[in-house]
Amino acid sequence: MKPSAIRFSGQLLPAVLLLAGAAVMADPPVHRGVVAETGLRYWEWDGEGVLFRLTQRLPDQTRAYFMARGFAPDQADRIARRCVFQSMFKNTAVAGAPSVTIDLADWRVRHAGRESRLLTREQWRQNFPGSALPKAAAIALEWSLLPTQQEYAPGDYNWGMSSYGLAPGTVFDLAFSWIREGRRLQGRLNGVECAADIHPEPQP
Amino acid sequence: MMPWHPTPALLALFTLLASSALFAGQPPQRLKEIPERPQAPDFSLRDMDGVEHRLSAYRGKVVILNFWATWCPPCREEMPSMQRAWQQLKDEDIVMLAVNVGEDEDRIFEFTASYPVDFPLLLDLDSAVIGNWPVRGLPTTFVIDPQGRIAYRAIGGRDWSAAGLLRKIRALR
Repeated sequence: MKPSAIRFSGQLLPAVLLLAGAAVMADPPVHRGVVAETGLRYWEWDGEGVLFRLTQRLPDQTRAYFMARGFAPDQADRIARRCVFQSMFKNTAVAGAPSVTIDLADWRVRHAGRESRLLTREQWRQNFPGSALPKAAAIALEWSLLPTQQEYAPGDYNWGMSSYGLAPGTVFDLAFSWIREGRRLQGRLNGVECAADIHPEPQP
Repeated sequence: MMPWHPTPALLALFTLLASSALFAGQPPQRLKEIPERPQAPDFSLRDMDGVEHRLSAYRGKVVILNFWATWCPPCREEMPSMQRAWQQLKDEDIVMLAVNVGEDEDRIFEFTASYPVDFPLLLDLDSAVIGNWPVRGLPTTFVIDPQGRIAYRAIGGRDWSAAGLLRKIRALR
């Protein structure tokens, strides 16, 4: 091997790769937009090996979903009015890369100068204790929500509802985190808006 | 020695290589290999035709065990690929079982009008079986080796007819 080649691979190539990596990292990881088919808004973090997306759910969508699974109207309404999003978390790293873990209990909702937590499966179980729900309804609630704790190998993902405990139409910031190889990484979605409680009618 | 200056085109190439290596946008279909292959929890559930299936009765065969529900978008999305995989695997001592969590026959029957499959759909009506498995979200799929041990896991949907996945499954026989 020529001396110049040794110098290139030993010194310059790492620098170039670092630059390339920095260029990748410099891409803004946050995207927002509107789902063309529904008109509902979404917020997305796509960076540092994870993809996290929140898509609005109209309170009426959530009411209809839970009533179809055995919830009484007032029970479905209690969930629907607590700012529910369709959510997706994915480990987008390549095969062989480390798994990531999340714990929704570590995530923070910031609104009007206050900080709060998500309403997780465990909180909803407490909200509907014991025999408050038919068995099928309780099972649907449990499995419809994004898992509170999960380990995602590369390529793994979950879909599920997530609830932020705020009134329809509220705007909030979400600080979320995940752990890879023992290191906590953080992301942030600002200006996330709970869907308003509107009741669209079919157009004539 | 001549100094080396990367051209913008070369830098762009490195950027592309680095980004694709670190964070693939559309990764190939993957399964997580489970270290030390723990024994799969046994269960017995009936299918849509009332036939009872005991997992341990399939010892000696590879079993693809999927937990799903009709309301779960990635479950619906992967179901046709499971059927395609099943068409290729069913004569190869490989079993495919899809355990529905918490829904009744009527709802599943309605679902199969849009997503026809001919592998067994099992009914875990009270979610007792899924509670014994390391599942936190749907869909989750396990591949069980002929010794009844969990060899692979997939959280979220996959294209089960992808050649790479079929190769891994067949290699367990």
